[in-house]
Amino acid sequence: MKKKFKLIDLDCANCAAKMEKAIKKIDGVTDASVSFMTQKMMIEADDAVFDQVLAEAVKCIAKVEPDCQVVLK
Amino acid sequence: MSSLTKKQKKDLTRIIISLVMFAVLMISEHAGLLPDNRNIAVIAAYLVPYFLVGYDVIRKCFLGIAHGQMFDECFLMTLATVGAFGCGELEEAVAVMLFYQVGEFFQSYAVGKSRGAITELMDIAPEFANRETEDGGIEVIDPDDIEIGDILVIKPGEKIPADGSVIDGEGLINTSALTGESMPRAVKAGDQVISGCINGENLLRIRADKAYDDSTVVQILEMVENAASKKSKTENFITRFAHYYTPAVVFGAVILAFLPPLISGDFTGEFGKWVLRACTFLVISCPCALVISVPLAFFGGIGAASREGVLVKGSNFLEMMAHLDTLVTDKTGTLTEGRFKVNSVTAADGYTKEEVLRFAAAVESGSTHPIATAITTACTDQFPMSEITDEENYAGKGISAVVAGVKTLVGNGGFMAENGIGIPDDQLPGTCCYVARDGRYIGTIVVADMPKSEAGQAVKDILAAGVRKIVMLTGDSESAARAIAEELGITDYRAGLLPQDKVGIVEDLIKGAGNGEDPKKKLGFIGDGINDAPVLSRADVGIAMGSLGSDAAIEAADIVIMDDNLLRIPAVIQIARKTISISGANIAFALLVKFACLVLGALGIANMWVAVFADVGVAVICILNSMRMIVKK
Repeated sequence: MKKKFKLIDLDCANCAAKMEKAIKKIDGVTDASVSFMTQKMMIEADDAVFDQVLAEAVKCIAKVEPDCQVVLK
Repeated sequence: MSSLTKKQKKDLTRIIISLVMFAVLMISEHAGLLPDNRNIAVIAAYLVPYFLVGYDVIRKCFLGIAHGQMFDECFLMTLATVGAFGCGELEEAVAVMLFYQVGEFFQSYAVGKSRGAITELMDIAPEFANRETEDGGIEVIDPDDIEIGDILVIKPGEKIPADGSVIDGEGLINTSALTGESMPRAVKAGDQVISGCINGENLLRIRADKAYDDSTVVQILEMVENAASKKSKTENFITRFAHYYTPAVVFGAVILAFLPPLISGDFTGEFGKWVLRACTFLVISCPCALVISVPLAFFGGIGAASREGVLVKGSNFLEMMAHLDTLVTDKTGTLTEGRFKVNSVTAADGYTKEEVLRFAAAVESGSTHPIATAITTACTDQFPMSEITDEENYAGKGISAVVAGVKTLVGNGGFMAENGIGIPDDQLPGTCCYVARDGRYIGTIVVADMPKSEAGQAVKDILAAGVRKIVMLTGDSESAARAIAEELGITDYRAGLLPQDKVGIVEDLIKGAGNGEDPKKKLGFIGDGINDAPVLSRADVGIAMGSLGSDAAIEAADIVIMDDNLLRIPAVIQIARKTISISGANIAFALLVKFACLVLGALGIANMWVAVFADVGVAVICILNSMRMIVKK
C-alpha cells in the first residue's frame, strides 16, 4: 500500500533528507520519500504492518524535527 | 506580508523585538553607558534577547541530543553561541543567533513563496461539481463524490470536474492549464472532455465516464507531486555530501580549538581565541543552503515545464533531458500527422488520373484501412455501390473487386506479381498502390503520410539545442521513410521495422550514445505511446506525445507532452539545461563561499559575523537564484 501524508512545519531541507533515510530503514517499508518542497511524505509498505510502520515513521519525524507534525487522515 | 503563516508572524515579531533590544545594548555599550568590567547584570541583559530569539533553537538542540540526533543546525548554532558566551563575546553570541534566525525566516518565506507559485501553476483541480439530480435540479457536490454515469452541469467559466463525454451543448473549452495550448478547443455533443479544462461561454452537460480519482486532472497532480520524490543525481550527491560535510567541519572545529593550544601549551590567553575560531567553523558547517538549493531549482524546472504542457515525472528525467545525446523518434503519428493522403497519381497510356483514382476508390470502398480511407476521400466522383461486386480482401497485400463488370485489383507490388501483372519499377516517395484492370496495369496511386507542420522546425531546434543525433524508426517502407527524413532534415532512419525490432535498435543506440564513452549522455525516445510502450520504457527518457486522455501513454512515459506539438521538445531541453546550470551554479557558489570562510575563519580573518552572513546569505542567494526558474515569464 502506498500512502501520502502532509507534513506541517517541516522547516529544513536537510531534516527532510534525514527523515527519509530513517523511514526507509523501518522494517516493512518498501519505499519512502519525504519532500521538503511539497511538504509531503510518501510511504509504501506492506498492508499488514502499515499502521505500525506509520506509527514508527511518525516517531522518526518527531526525533529529527520535534515541531514537525504529520497530518493523519 | 499577508501571505505569512502564523508561525512566520510569530518568528518575525520575536526577531524584531530582539533586534531592537540588541541594538539598544550595543549602542549603550559603545557609548560607555555600561560598566567597563561586565558584571552579572550586563551579561543577563545580553541573555534576554539571546533567549528570546533563540529559545526554540536551544530547545531543539536539547531534544536533538536526547534523541541522538547530533550535528543538526540547532545543535551547531547553540554550541557556537555558547562557545562565544564562554569566551566573553556577548555581542557575537547574540548576533549569531539573531542573524541565524533572520536567515531562517527568509528561507522559510522564500521557499513558501516559490511553493505557492508552483501550487498556483498546478491550480487545475476543480473544487466542486454540479450534479444534476433526478428531478432536474442541480446539487453542488465534492468532486470526490462523482460517480460514473453522473450527469454534470458545467457553467461558463467553471472547471470540468471529471473526464466525461458531452451530452448537451457545444462550445469552446480552454485546455491551456493542461496542454499549454492557448487555442481553445471546440466541443459538441458526443465529444470526450477532460477534467481540469475550463469551460468557455456556453453551458455544457456531460456524463462522467470516470470517477474523480481516475480522472486526468488527479493523475497529473499526483504525477507532479511524485516528481519531487524521484531525485536527481545532483540532489542525491548533495544530500550525501551534507551527510559527511557537517561532521567533518565539526571535527575540524574541535582540532582548531584544542590543537594549537596543545602545541603551545598555553591554555589561558590564546585558548579563547582558538575556541572562538572553532565557533566560526561551527556556524559555517550548517548544510542547509546546499541541501535546499538543488531540489528547489528542479522543482522550479518541473513547474516551468508543466506550464508548457509538458509533464516531467521526476527530477532525474529533467536532468537526463539536459544530457540528451541521441533522440530516437517514431514516425507515424509523431513526426507525421498519422493520416494518409493521396500524394500523386500516375496513369498508364489510355487512362486518365481521374479514372485510375475512381476505379481504385471503388475497390477500396468497403475497406477501413487508412490507405483505403485516403483513396476514397481523394475521389470525388465515386461509382455507385451497385456496380461494385465480389470484393475480396487479401490482408497485407491488396483488394480485388469487380467494378462495372471488369475485375479490378488494387495492392502492393507483391500482390501484382502474384497475379502476373507487370508494373513499372520507378521508386516513388511514399506507399505505392498499384491499380490493374482486366489483368493489365493501369496506374499507380502514391499515398503518403504528411509531416506535421512544425516538424521541420522542431528537428532544427532539437539539433540546435545540442542533441547530436536524431534517428527515425518506422514500420513503413524505405521510400516513405526516406521521403519524410529528407523533408525534415533527419539523416539517420531505419525503415520496415516490426515493433519488437525497435527495442533492439534502441538498445544498440543506447550503447552507442556518446560513442559509449560518456555514460552521462542519454538517449530519449519520442512516440505516441500507442504501440511503443516497450520502447518508451527501454529508453533512458521516454517521451510520449499527444497523450491528453491516454492513460497508457501517461503510465509508460517519463515525460508526457500533453498536446501534439513537437516544438515542446526543444523547449523542455532548454528548461532542463537552465535547471542544471542554476543548480550547478548554486552548488559551486555555496561551496566556494563556505570553503573561503573556513580558511579565513581558521586564520582568524573572518569572525563569527562574517560566518553567519556567509551561511544565511548563501542560502538566501541560492534560493533567489532557483526562483528564477519559477518566476520567469
